[in-house]
Amino acid sequence: MTPETILDAETKTLWLDMFRKLVRIRHFERSAFELYTAGKLPGFMHISIGQEATAVGACSALRPDDYMTSTHRGHGDTIAKGVSVEGAMAELFGRVTGVCRAKGGSMHIADFSQNVLGANGIVAAGAPIAVGAGLSAKKRGTDQVVLCFFGDGALASGPIHESMNCAALWKLPVIFLRQNNQYAESTPRTDYQGIPDVVEWAKGYGISAVRVDGNDVLAVYRAVKEAAARARRGEGPSFIESETYRWYGHNIGDPGTWRPKEEIQAWKAKDPIPRFRKVILENGAATDADLDAIEAEEEARLQAAIEAAEAAPKPKPGTALEDVYVDPDLGAQAIQGVRP
Amino acid sequence: MTTREIMYREAIRDAQREEMLRDPTVFLIGEDLRDPWGGTYKATQNLSTEFGNERVLNTPICEETIIGASLGAALTGLRPVAELMYFDFVMRSMDAVVNQVAKVRYMSGGQVKVPLVIRTQGGGGRSSAAQHGNSLEAWICHVPGLFVAMPSTPYDAKGLLKTAIRMDDPVFFIEHKLLYMTKGPVPDEEYTIPFGVADVKRKGDDVTIVATSRMVLFALEAAAELEKEGISAEVIDPRTLVPLDEATILESVHKTNRLVVVNEGVERCGWAAEVAALVQKKGFGDLDAPIERVCTRNVPLPFQPDLENYVLPSVADIVRAAKYTLGKVE
Ligand SMILES: Cc1ncc(C[n+]2csc(CCOP(=O)(O)OP(=O)(O)O)c2C)c(N)n1
Ligand SMILES: [Mg+2]
Repeated sequence: MTPETILDAETKTLWLDMFRKLVRIRHFERSAFELYTAGKLPGFMHISIGQEATAVGACSALRPDDYMTSTHRGHGDTIAKGVSVEGAMAELFGRVTGVCRAKGGSMHIADFSQNVLGANGIVAAGAPIAVGAGLSAKKRGTDQVVLCFFGDGALASGPIHESMNCAALWKLPVIFLRQNNQYAESTPRTDYQGIPDVVEWAKGYGISAVRVDGNDVLAVYRAVKEAAARARRGEGPSFIESETYRWYGHNIGDPGTWRPKEEIQAWKAKDPIPRFRKVILENGAATDADLDAIEAEEEARLQAAIEAAEAAPKPKPGTALEDVYVDPDLGAQAIQGVRP
Repeated sequence: MTTREIMYREAIRDAQREEMLRDPTVFLIGEDLRDPWGGTYKATQNLSTEFGNERVLNTPICEETIIGASLGAALTGLRPVAELMYFDFVMRSMDAVVNQVAKVRYMSGGQVKVPLVIRTQGGGGRSSAAQHGNSLEAWICHVPGLFVAMPSTPYDAKGLLKTAIRMDDPVFFIEHKLLYMTKGPVPDEEYTIPFGVADVKRKGDDVTIVATSRMVLFALEAAAELEKEGISAEVIDPRTLVPLDEATILESVHKTNRLVVVNEGVERCGWAAEVAALVQKKGFGDLDAPIERVCTRNVPLPFQPDLENYVLPSVADIVRAAKYTLGKVE
């Protein structure tokens, strides 16, 4: 983008929406981190701060009726695809107003009203589901596409490979997007992957593949937009390697300090949010004041969401037995136990 | 004999360390085992520093290959100890576990030994939700060809793991995420614990409580509660589920005439049902009351803590079940 570019209204709206979502996710995860550390949120939590541009760029390139699968580090992905901060925050708190009614928690945020087919606690488990959704779109004759997020470490897992092969074989509208945040738990690439260039690897499946700067929201947007267009034309799956970084440890509790300090600093300097702010300003898409106002709005909305979540009722213990089966009678019969 | 108080995870680490020192064919394989990470629950801490990255092999995220490759190594002269980070991820390796590891000796007409230990950890209680808190011991016990250990204390964990590593048959070794930080005395001297020998964790006369893993701690708490009400409970930890020390359980029931079986897997088709079936068959005449089971309810584990507590067995549930066998619950 050069400063002389004249932006049409549509692009301006898109950019401001993407900026808003970047900020929304950053604020959400900052707060989640603090609330968790303060002992207010149960369970395990994986934070994606630093990776927001990948989530937002990719999901902004989709239509609302497109599908998405995510991972254990799914706050950003799911919010970018349309999960509300209210529903997500209440879920982290384990309240009845949570998007999964307190059954799922941080690792299992799903919202079928937004075609978010689920975050996932099992590495690589989203990929076959994405293939199935792509198969379904094709069989039903829609032009919906499926965005399948997975981590760099997940690429070593069998299901990713089986899924890429099936998607290529059946020419399915699936976009495999690897969020390469450089580590799988504690393990760097050199310990889990024999060849450095996964783009060439993906091409071996007969899948069109590119690498993007995952901290450049517009680059991710363009790559996914192109992949989606190809998928809608019936030209099959794509693979996108999105290079980014998670600022924090694997999960909250791991300080992540086992990584080189300089590496963490270098990536923090590539923070996707100030970077996009600069692009917006240089292109005259908005003023600093406009962007500050967006930040303030998002922060206010988030604070309200946190207050609402904290104030919302916890589920009644007995509701643990709900939502297992659809069939009420057979379900009750199946769940019944003998504990006195 | 001098003893030290150590954590369960240290007991697991020390057992692996001692066996690695003793036998150069022993090696560790799994995800994120190396220092400084030292295993997700730190059960391999310092071992890669001491023994090097070749003997503490970090793998990609590939559970089926971890187990399949361990089998290949076990069949060809090595003695692998494989770690699967969560019991829930064992599901990814089930073909290797069930169709390969457990059966290769039998299918080959007894030609080979399979000196392989698969370590994993399960259990709820941390709001880790439906994919990180499973207790699937019954699945594993259901597979002929595997031995299954499920220790509850640092002492048992160390002694059983050392035995497991020396055995020539595949052992599935189940730890619990909420036991890793618990402490207990362990002797400085070397020791091992044989498979198939239960440990009576508390003596009692009125009711027998058989429990496994973290549920042993719950059963002991329940026994203390019951004592306040004048009920004397005997708590038995079988320590290995396969083989099972039937005699210790049957002797106890012969004395108490009542049995409560507690395990953390879901109730339906669970391990407790197996024990109940055993005792009704071989100890029928000793029973004065129906056998009670206290297990996880027949639903996936929910995230929210109140929901999770409702679904998992509790100390109160065990107390109630014990009183039930004594006709003391209205
Ligand atoms: C099948 C399976 N194996 C292991 C794990 C444990 N685990 C959770 S996240 C993770 C690392 C994933 O790395 P990556 O795919 O790079 O995603 P990131 O955490 O970096 O976002 C591991 C090993 C799991 N959840 N599922
Ligand atoms: Mg990663």
